[in-house]
Amino acid sequence: MWKRTARGRELHFYLAGINNQNFLMRDRETGSWWQQVTGRAIAGELAGSALELMPNDELAFALWKSESSNEHGHGLVLAPVAGHEKDYDKEWEKEVAKYPVPLTFPGQGLQDRDVILGVKLGGQARAFPLAKVRGQSPVEDKIAGVPVALVTGPDGESMRVFRLQWNGMNIELYRDEQSDGHSREWRLLDSQGNTWNFAGCATNGPASGQCLEKINFLKDYWFDWKNYNPQTTVYNH
Amino acid sequence: MNRVDTSENRGLWLLLGLLAMFSLGLFMSLAFVMRPFHHRSQRPQGLAMALKRTAPALTVAALVGVLALSVRLWRRSSRLARTGIVMALVLSVASAVMVRQNYFEWMFHPIAAAGFVSAADAHLGDKEMVMAVRIGRETRAYPIVQMAYHHILNDTVGEVPIAVTY
Repeated sequence: MWKRTARGRELHFYLAGINNQNFLMRDRETGSWWQQVTGRAIAGELAGSALELMPNDELAFALWKSESSNEHGHGLVLAPVAGHEKDYDKEWEKEVAKYPVPLTFPGQGLQDRDVILGVKLGGQARAFPLAKVRGQSPVEDKIAGVPVALVTGPDGESMRVFRLQWNGMNIELYRDEQSDGHSREWRLLDSQGNTWNFAGCATNGPASGQCLEKINFLKDYWFDWKNYNPQTTVYNH
Repeated sequence: MNRVDTSENRGLWLLLGLLAMFSLGLFMSLAFVMRPFHHRSQRPQGLAMALKRTAPALTVAALVGVLALSVRLWRRSSRLARTGIVMALVLSVASAVMVRQNYFEWMFHPIAAAGFVSAADAHLGDKEMVMAVRIGRETRAYPIVQMAYHHILNDTVGEVPIAVTY
């Protein structure tokens, strides 16, 4: 997701091609060509410009609804486009998996179409295999010296990445399940006596009311991530 | 018809054929270099984009030439030769039209005007994944099953223009 302005101009994008199974976009205003995955203009009047990344989440609908209903503002959902309701294919991931792979990067223990969460910090890129993040959540690591945690939410699908620092201190998170016999409350505990929810905000303890810094990540296929981040390392603990 | 006429005619016919082939070739090579499931490194990608930029003007120039030659040759031509002229015209027009088309948009169905509903009115299952963004006090959810089909949406959230891509 990108902020669609460059050099002080508002732009409108449309798809103009595919390269390496990644979209090329053009803007209606200047006709410049942009690589969708990097947000960079690679040809045309705006060549060399970069779009600003717009932090966003991939969440299960129920979680999004519960998180956005606390707000004073109003949450809106993109409606199906008239005439296309039948075209939306819930099995699209299986369909995409059948496409041929234009590039292959063996040697780092991952298959081309393995899904990874890619995190970039301080010029370093690291790929976290999705299966590991699901199985070991919270996954804690350091990228360019910054402690991070990759967390799978209560629904098992929603994921977030946080900077593991609060009040200038590094913290460690632990998964904790509290049961009152009826419903289980999903929460994380830390070494300082705080309780954190999936939004990354402390609901109890000395940090109560404060939130961890969210870190952007890209859910991507391994071959695609590796192609655009040739120096990437792979998390393999 | 004298000898000079015949050899001049031959030259014109050759030119007509070459111009029509040139237009068709431009369209075909553009379609070839832009083909989706193929790896292009930076240089061929740059070439593809340069071709995409110049092909509209080149095909129009070729079409003008084909038109002029067709007018010149039509009267003196047999029925068979006229069929050839029509074919050259059709190829040139078709190529000039096709290099202007963004046929990826035919495949991907861009969203012309996005509609939104409140969370309560959305017909989505609890487990369906959405891309979520919050800017200021506004929040938006873009169902991934829809974005995986349309791929791109120009939206404005909290007065910030954003491009939602998937």
